[in-house]
Amino acid sequence: MLVHSRTGKWATWAVFFLLFVPLFAVPLLVIVAASFTTNWSGAFPSGPTSEHYKAATSGDSLQALTTSLITAVSASLLALTVGSWAALAAASLRRRGRRFLDGLFMLPVAVPSVVVGLAVLVAFSKPPMLLNGTRWIVILAHTILVTAFAYQSVSAAIVRLDPMYEQAAASLGARPSYVLWRIRLPLLLPALTAAAGLCFALSMGELSATMMLYPPDWTPLPVQIFAATDRGSLFTGAAVAVVLMGTTLLVLLGVARIRTRASYR
Amino acid sequence: MTGGATQGSGIRFDRVSVAYGGNIVLDRLDLTVEPGEVMALLGPSGSGKTTALRAVAGFVRPVSGRVRLGDRDVTDLPPHKRGIGMVVQQYALFPHLRVRDNVAFGLKARKVAKAEIPERVAEALELVGMAAYATRYPRELSGGQQQRVAIARALAIRPGVLLLDEPLSALDAQLRSGMLAELARLHRELPDVSILYVTHDQVEALTLADRIAVMDKARLQDCGTPQELYRRPRTEFTASFVGNANLLPVTVTGATGAVDFAGHALAVPTGEVAGGVTATLCVRPHLVGLGDGPNALTGTLAEVQWRGSTHRLYVDIHGHRIKADLRELRETPALGDKVTVHFAAEDAVLLPAGAGFGGGVHG
Amino acid sequence: MASAVAGDVSAGASGSRPVLNRRTGPSNLVWALPPVAVLALVFLYPLALVVQQSVSPDEGGTSLAPYGDVFASASFRSALTTTVWLAVGSTVGCLVLGFVLALVIAFVPFPGGRAVARFIDVFLSFPSFLITLALLFIYGTVGMANGVWTDVTGAADGPFHFLTTPWGVLLAEITYFTPFVMRPLLAAFSQLDTAQLEVASSLGAKPARIVRQVILPEALPALAAGGSLVLVMCLNEFGIVLFTGAKGVTTLPMLVYGKAILESDYPAACVVAVVNIAISVGLYSLYRMVSRRVGA
Repeated sequence: MLVHSRTGKWATWAVFFLLFVPLFAVPLLVIVAASFTTNWSGAFPSGPTSEHYKAATSGDSLQALTTSLITAVSASLLALTVGSWAALAAASLRRRGRRFLDGLFMLPVAVPSVVVGLAVLVAFSKPPMLLNGTRWIVILAHTILVTAFAYQSVSAAIVRLDPMYEQAAASLGARPSYVLWRIRLPLLLPALTAAAGLCFALSMGELSATMMLYPPDWTPLPVQIFAATDRGSLFTGAAVAVVLMGTTLLVLLGVARIRTRASYR
Repeated sequence: MTGGATQGSGIRFDRVSVAYGGNIVLDRLDLTVEPGEVMALLGPSGSGKTTALRAVAGFVRPVSGRVRLGDRDVTDLPPHKRGIGMVVQQYALFPHLRVRDNVAFGLKARKVAKAEIPERVAEALELVGMAAYATRYPRELSGGQQQRVAIARALAIRPGVLLLDEPLSALDAQLRSGMLAELARLHRELPDVSILYVTHDQVEALTLADRIAVMDKARLQDCGTPQELYRRPRTEFTASFVGNANLLPVTVTGATGAVDFAGHALAVPTGEVAGGVTATLCVRPHLVGLGDGPNALTGTLAEVQWRGSTHRLYVDIHGHRIKADLRELRETPALGDKVTVHFAAEDAVLLPAGAGFGGGVHG
Repeated sequence: MASAVAGDVSAGASGSRPVLNRRTGPSNLVWALPPVAVLALVFLYPLALVVQQSVSPDEGGTSLAPYGDVFASASFRSALTTTVWLAVGSTVGCLVLGFVLALVIAFVPFPGGRAVARFIDVFLSFPSFLITLALLFIYGTVGMANGVWTDVTGAADGPFHFLTTPWGVLLAEITYFTPFVMRPLLAAFSQLDTAQLEVASSLGAKPARIVRQVILPEALPALAAGGSLVLVMCLNEFGIVLFTGAKGVTTLPMLVYGKAILESDYPAACVVAVVNIAISVGLYSLYRMVSRRVGA
């Protein structure tokens, strides 16, 4: 559309792939390749092996996978509940109230995750809310961090929602609660599932706040990966990273499935 | 604007074919637009008319054939070197530029001397009656005003050829007829500019065009002056797409000037069509009269529509529905009544079955 | 019929959004209370504690002494400068790279372009430290690049040692955050009427002029929004820096982590945290103001 000559087009694409492939495609491929490798100090990896995956799917690493899954699912569900509730409540407010809620719920995006971790650590290390040392402090921190994204996706979807449907329902005599339950939530379902997927992915990869808070018996995958690379087992780290990416992708795919089925248009 | 314009160059399609992924969307188009001529490309959506226009502008590349502007072969030229004015359906005004900067865009891009630009912008805006809006932003204008600015922007570069792609279809009916008159006036003021006007609206084509090229299914179906196409269509498609038509299946009987329609002998000019050949008879609804007369046919009145100044009658004759547009009737017959309609022999056009348009209608 | 009804109702409703008979009464505010209360308890209250802690030195009492100590320390000042220049540098890099890549995907389309756009979405859902991990394999001391170099030249040591310097962090951040610029850009480009580009080029504009005068002005809001988001995220980035394992690269989040977890110096950690919050939240508010102003 912009470049019309054939040579011009090919030149543009060449530049594109020269930038795109080394910067974005190669890193991910390298991690996958490294996870099957015993030695990589030349152009190509050598010594194909699946040993790292044995390590990555047993013992501590398997424990880390379940830890991450439980954390991500709980944090996503909690964040989705709080975020959607807030987004729906915000939509029914006047302009200023809506802006206030927007600012409030988007604040965790701006605050560094490390600081969120520190704050949670400071606040929940003493009675009456003594959570430090338990898995709950990790789940809590993750929930705080991803709620903003749930809030953002759901409120964006509410803005796009054609008020015609609610109006038609109301004109047919439906009470607000009935309209919410039978019209708005079903129409928002695609956005809700998308938000859930986003929250899940973010929580699976969360490292910053987790590093501040994780108790020894609750180490999620990113911490596990860091521990492996920190002690020099780069290849095992790569295998665990592939497990992390694979799990995230699988869940995102599943969510996308649900989403296509849940959208009516 | 007058005098300074690039000498009208005309457009010539030389067996131009365009395909998208193996799908032929324009099939060997042969067509010449004379310098200063208004040519309407008329057809339903998907007929290839817009593709033809985009081939002139340079946004689609023909798989075969050549496109010429005057004596220049522009087939391999990028759009920005063709020097064509183009106006599209949604105007495509640059939203971040004021009206005068929109109009000046092409002049700056073509490196017109800085000192000359304000004058030419003013001239172009004057031409479309938008001089008072030079400092407005597009969003502050109505649809009709945006359309005028888009035309001014295209004309400011003094193109030899102006391409108009459904320019009026985004306007409401009333504005549309106003703009139609405006375009006709513009063309009178710029007699050297060739205009290729793509539309699916036969009224626009009939009103504005010197000639109409009728397109369907990626092909040129017919080409001629509006009068020719309306009075003497050469194909069934033209007959039905340009104006309304009754199309009756007939067989030419042995005698010259006689056809058989469902057992009725009708006297119509058969030209050189041989006896025994099946053909289609085209009669315009407003040329059908009520009551007895030449070529009288009797049937049952199926429906009556009052259209203000006229009544339209639908009469079923042997399973065929004939439309008749009559000056407003004092007394309308009742539905189900037996009704007789007639038409004059010279008002009917015989279209031999499978009649096509052979092309080669240059100039 | 339905649309006619909707039109009447929305025309009658006041305010910018057509909302059916939705009173803002006390009942609506009550519905907003529970989520706000939850957020206040688990997020605002802890933040307040951090601020309080930052003005409570270990010796007891309330004073700004911890701020004085931290601001005076060389490690804090170098962390502050490192953080800011890394974030600014990465943002500029992301904007340039993201604009170029998005431009090609949107306006010089090629088969597979949609797959590339999809890939970028997937990229966004992976954690940032994976990039550093990958770079360790490519440019690490015993990685690919150095290995190839030593094999070819026979030297004992490869030339690539930038990974543990700020440049390594810069490369990783540009790689990871560029998609965050591309996404809003691609959305903005899809809104742009391609007829504008065609008209511009029929008026005689070459591609460079079209990019500069037609596409760029339309993309500015998306660039501003994406750029300021990336700036905030770079200021807050922790995983990438942690994984480089570079002793020489300390950013504010790293400093918070180091003071709190490694040194158990909570007041100092809280001071750094407050500074970090102030910068990030300040920029983020700016971002929200900008993106609301331009309607992105």
